[in-house]
Amino acid sequence: MDGVVQLQKQLVDYTASLFHEGFLDEQFNQLQQLQDESNPDFVVEVVSLFFEDSERLLNELGKTLEQKTVDFKKVDAHVHQLKGSSSSIGAQRVQKLCIAFRNCCEELNTEGCLKCLQQVKHEYSLVKNKLETLFKLEQQTIAAGGSIPTL
Amino acid sequence: MVVLATLWGFVPFTESCHIQQPILAALAVLLITTSLLIPCWHAMINRVERHMNLNTLDFHSKLVSEIDEKAKFLHPINSSATNLARVLASSLNGSADHQLSFSEIETMVAPVLFQALSTVTYLSQVSYIGLEGLFFSYYTERSQTFALYSNSSFSFDPSDPNARKKHISYIQSVNNETGKLYGKAIESPPMSMINTSWFQAVLNSTTYGYASVETGWNNAGDLLFLNSARINGGGVISLGFPVEALTAIFSGTDRDQDGGSLYLATKDGKVLIDQGLQNTHMVLDSNVVSIQLMKPNGDQISGVGNVSCNLIDGNPRASVLNIQEKEYTLYCLPLDIVGVQSVYVLGFPQNGLVRLVHKNKKLALLLLILMIATMVVSIINFVLIIIRAAKREMHLCAALIKQMEATQQAERKSMNKSLAFASASHDVRGSLAVLTGLIELCFDKAPPASELHSNFRLMDTCAKDLLGILNSILDMSKIEAGKMQLEEEEFDLAQLLEDVVDLYHPVGIKKGVDVVLDPYDGSIIKFSQVKGDRGKLKQILCNLLSNAVKFTSEGHVTVRGWVRKPSLQNSIIASKKNCLPCLFYKNSQAYNDLEAMNAAQQDPNAIDFVFEVDDTGKGIPKEKQKSVFENYVQVKETALGQGGTGLGLGIVQSLVRLMHGDIGIVDKEIGEKGTCFRFNVLLNICENISSDAAKAEAHDIEEGCPYQMTISTPNPALCIRTPSPKLATHCPSPKLKASHVVLFIENNERRRTSQRFMEKLGIKVSVVKEWENLLSILRKIKYKHSTAKSELSSPNEYLSRSPSSNSVSVEMDMPLSTMDGSDSILSVFKRTTPRCTSSFILIVIDACAGPFPELCKTMAEFRKGLQNTCCRVVWLKKPTMCSISFKCVEDDMMDPNDVIMSKPFPGSCLYEVVRLLPEFGGTLQGNMGRQKRESMPEAAKMPRDLPSSSGTRPYAENSQIVEIQDHSGSSTETPGKKVFSAIQNLSHVSPLPPKEPEIQGCGNPSNEKFLSGKKILVAEDNSVLRKVAVSILVGLGATVECSENGQEALLLVCNGLSDQRKHGSSNNLPYDYILMDCEMPVMDGCEATKKIREMEKDYGVHIPIIALTGHDASSAEAKRTIEAGMDAHLVKPLKGEHLLEAIRCIDNKGQHV
Repeated sequence: MDGVVQLQKQLVDYTASLFHEGFLDEQFNQLQQLQDESNPDFVVEVVSLFFEDSERLLNELGKTLEQKTVDFKKVDAHVHQLKGSSSSIGAQRVQKLCIAFRNCCEELNTEGCLKCLQQVKHEYSLVKNKLETLFKLEQQTIAAGGSIPTL
Repeated sequence: MVVLATLWGFVPFTESCHIQQPILAALAVLLITTSLLIPCWHAMINRVERHMNLNTLDFHSKLVSEIDEKAKFLHPINSSATNLARVLASSLNGSADHQLSFSEIETMVAPVLFQALSTVTYLSQVSYIGLEGLFFSYYTERSQTFALYSNSSFSFDPSDPNARKKHISYIQSVNNETGKLYGKAIESPPMSMINTSWFQAVLNSTTYGYASVETGWNNAGDLLFLNSARINGGGVISLGFPVEALTAIFSGTDRDQDGGSLYLATKDGKVLIDQGLQNTHMVLDSNVVSIQLMKPNGDQISGVGNVSCNLIDGNPRASVLNIQEKEYTLYCLPLDIVGVQSVYVLGFPQNGLVRLVHKNKKLALLLLILMIATMVVSIINFVLIIIRAAKREMHLCAALIKQMEATQQAERKSMNKSLAFASASHDVRGSLAVLTGLIELCFDKAPPASELHSNFRLMDTCAKDLLGILNSILDMSKIEAGKMQLEEEEFDLAQLLEDVVDLYHPVGIKKGVDVVLDPYDGSIIKFSQVKGDRGKLKQILCNLLSNAVKFTSEGHVTVRGWVRKPSLQNSIIASKKNCLPCLFYKNSQAYNDLEAMNAAQQDPNAIDFVFEVDDTGKGIPKEKQKSVFENYVQVKETALGQGGTGLGLGIVQSLVRLMHGDIGIVDKEIGEKGTCFRFNVLLNICENISSDAAKAEAHDIEEGCPYQMTISTPNPALCIRTPSPKLATHCPSPKLKASHVVLFIENNERRRTSQRFMEKLGIKVSVVKEWENLLSILRKIKYKHSTAKSELSSPNEYLSRSPSSNSVSVEMDMPLSTMDGSDSILSVFKRTTPRCTSSFILIVIDACAGPFPELCKTMAEFRKGLQNTCCRVVWLKKPTMCSISFKCVEDDMMDPNDVIMSKPFPGSCLYEVVRLLPEFGGTLQGNMGRQKRESMPEAAKMPRDLPSSSGTRPYAENSQIVEIQDHSGSSTETPGKKVFSAIQNLSHVSPLPPKEPEIQGCGNPSNEKFLSGKKILVAEDNSVLRKVAVSILVGLGATVECSENGQEALLLVCNGLSDQRKHGSSNNLPYDYILMDCEMPVMDGCEATKKIREMEKDYGVHIPIIALTGHDASSAEAKRTIEAGMDAHLVKPLKGEHLLEAIRCIDNKGQHV
């Protein structure tokens, strides 16, 4: 039982740290609240959807920006999408970078865009890692027989 | 034309040809007319002149011919002498060839002579001269005829002088009828004719007579034309015609009308007529007349000119001479008068018509030319002026355009600058927020009490200051950009005021300045539940208050608030005065309240709140009062330790104006220190019935005892508007004395405001200013109470004596409706009759006002002597006051029922103190069981379980506790009225379990399945967002359909609508709501919405569409969605409560429609 408690505590601490470091925001809480018995894997589903979506978008962004004449409209649309999905799962650091990215887009600044893309990618992988860890912890907790503590 | 050319030279053709063309045309016409007119005119004048000349010449020649005619008329006279000679010769009949004797002459010649004299006209002298000296003549002198004769002959010997001597002539009168001589013959000097030239000439002339001008015989010696002829070689007959008579014929011609002159002279130079010009003399010299100028005395001056008398082709020659500066036309003509060859000169002055015309012709021409020249010059001037004006206008226009462009540019620049500024400040703020966050993080990690720790603290403070300044700048730029918007929310105004005052109270205390909240007339409490921008109002108040505290070094700062009576309703109120004369015996304050009430009732939504922040600081000089509200202006830039950007008041003014109010500095009376800022804002009063208040009221009535008289407001609207802390007021029964409050507060301002407020409530208040006086006043009261007790048998007397209780009794007698409308505070503090009949004394003591143990002692002493009178003490404690002093004394000295308050007195605790009074729901001393002391750790030590004595109301204890909880709740600044109202509930409904307040807020459990049964379409391209939205909606119980873009959504809606039609249930919507993302591929949300709206028209339905965007609600993007026809706008990421709010909003709208 101690292990479960330990795990739960770890989970709580980890989640709190994610919030504290600004990886996640209130929106993630909202998501968690939406999860219930009828929809037990909601958060995981949404987040994995986000991962898929984001990876696709990032790939496309990379391709678009590599071209000689950059289609900024397209870039902007992609970034907008990315921003939307990141905001809806509460990945606020990605979201904020997206805003800067869009500003670069508006200025038609290819260099800036590339830089932003790098940052977004970095931030994305960070948040992805964090979330995956979080889910792992959750799974462990559940496997150990505990419930996921709510914040 | 030259002028024209120069004009064209002046006119820059491209510039102003539209103006100059008509002018130039006019000028050309004028010049052409002029050039035609002058020759015409000239010719005409010449013709006139010519005619005039002709006329004049004609006239002159007529004159000349007239003279000729007259001369011809005289012609027969020429031959009269020869005729007479022939007659005589025939009568003498041959005897004439010898010398006639005198007798012969007398008999034969004389009668003939006499006949001739009498018959021939003009004849004035006739004579016969014999060669030998015989001589006989008649002559007339003054109609008397005389005869002159010489009857002796003389030898015709010229060498003998003696002979002549003997020759004697006689003059004898003659009868005019008969020619006979009569009277005496008078000797006269001898006349010798023979030797005279004319006589010789006669003798020499053979056939005809000889004519000459000679002197006559008569006494006057008149000039005569002598016409003589020889009788057959004998004597000579001579006829004399007077020159005067003949020349009169000529001089009588009509030349005079011209002012002409006539000059007549014989060829040998004898002047016959000289009617010439004045001072002139004419000299005839062989056919040439020379005219000489004479002096008046006759001296000759100079010759003027000559006139030739030679005829040219038979016409006289006119010569023009200038005599005495006058021009004369002179004609010289020969004339034969009675055979005497003579010459006459006719002179006409040229000042006649000809001269006039001649002269005026030139003058008129000159004038005409002058006139035209003037005209031309003036037109040119005019044109020049117009051109200059046009030029200037064009310059001005150009300048204006330039200026406008510059202005626009400047405005654009300024706009861009402020935009850039705003965005920059936004970024800076972001970074600052990160900084503060980081500092906080490090702050926690730093070891306490280390240097790092204190440095972090400093950094934190600095960062926060910086943030404050930045916020003010950002506010400023926001206001400038017009982006400041009011956020409407419900809040408790009284609470807000108190919060603000509480916030600054410690700051003030630190500086030694007291910050006092003045409840004024209590109107704020009545209308405290308002709707408006709480944050901004708080910002305004905080700004003013912080300024006031900052610039006040001693004294106090007072914050006042009241509801203003709108001036436009004064007339209505004035008319009401007459309708309600019963109001006149109310005091004026109550009347003011009535006015405020009226205003509130007539315009229930917007109410004008006035606030005043009054300090006793250094004040603002008059001349700077206006500029303080400008941005970046500070009264004293270098005020030490009183820094700031100078933006505060500017922002305050903008905010106040945003709330439809105005701010200004109120003039203080002379001698008063400090500044008083006054501003007013329009706030809406909440209309929702706060359920708790209504329930509390219902409960009150339900619980009412038979003898309890509830004077609740009969007007429900009033209840609705006064959900502020209600005090259940127990009206004193007629036999009960009113409560007495003793106020002992050190600060003048506080004491004054508290006293005023309480007196307004009808509470009897005694005031103690210094602690030394406390005891004496208490004694007096004690005495009064004991005497009053003895007079209990006649309580009415007492009532009439006490002014405060008097006012209560008046209200009791009044009709209920009048009373409720008249006193706002009383309507807030409900009165109820207490069940206890003993009097009550409440003593409020400022614990810092004197040595605390002394005060305690005084109070203990006061209590001892009291019988049948309840006494309670409220101790006011400053937060800074050391609590140990309490500790040491309270055990023995303080009464357990005493209340200790640490809050600034006129504030919410004032209401609590009032509530302690039995009239306002307080309990009497004996009822007090346990008491919790707020903010006092020592409270726990207070004895809590004193036995409760008689007449305990079961809820009384609870009431006390709850009230104080309420207090503590507000002191820890727990915002939100829910907590507050719940407590209110408790205070009134305490025996019953607290009722669940009606759920209104969002996110409450009742929202759980708010959307159950609703069908919602979600159009969202982003899969993540879509999933989230779907799960939120499903969680709320809705049925959800999805589409990935606008096109799909449109198709779904279209299908849905047509299906509905097929099934004939067109009233139902295919979807209850549509959530539409705005930026989607294929077809974006706005476009889809537009198309859906178009499609709906055919079906006559309206599906609510809610927009989802990533932009602010105030951004242009959001506006675009509303313009596209969407019903609401939500900011991503989607949140359940926001969605519900929007849906409620739409539903409400739908219901209204």
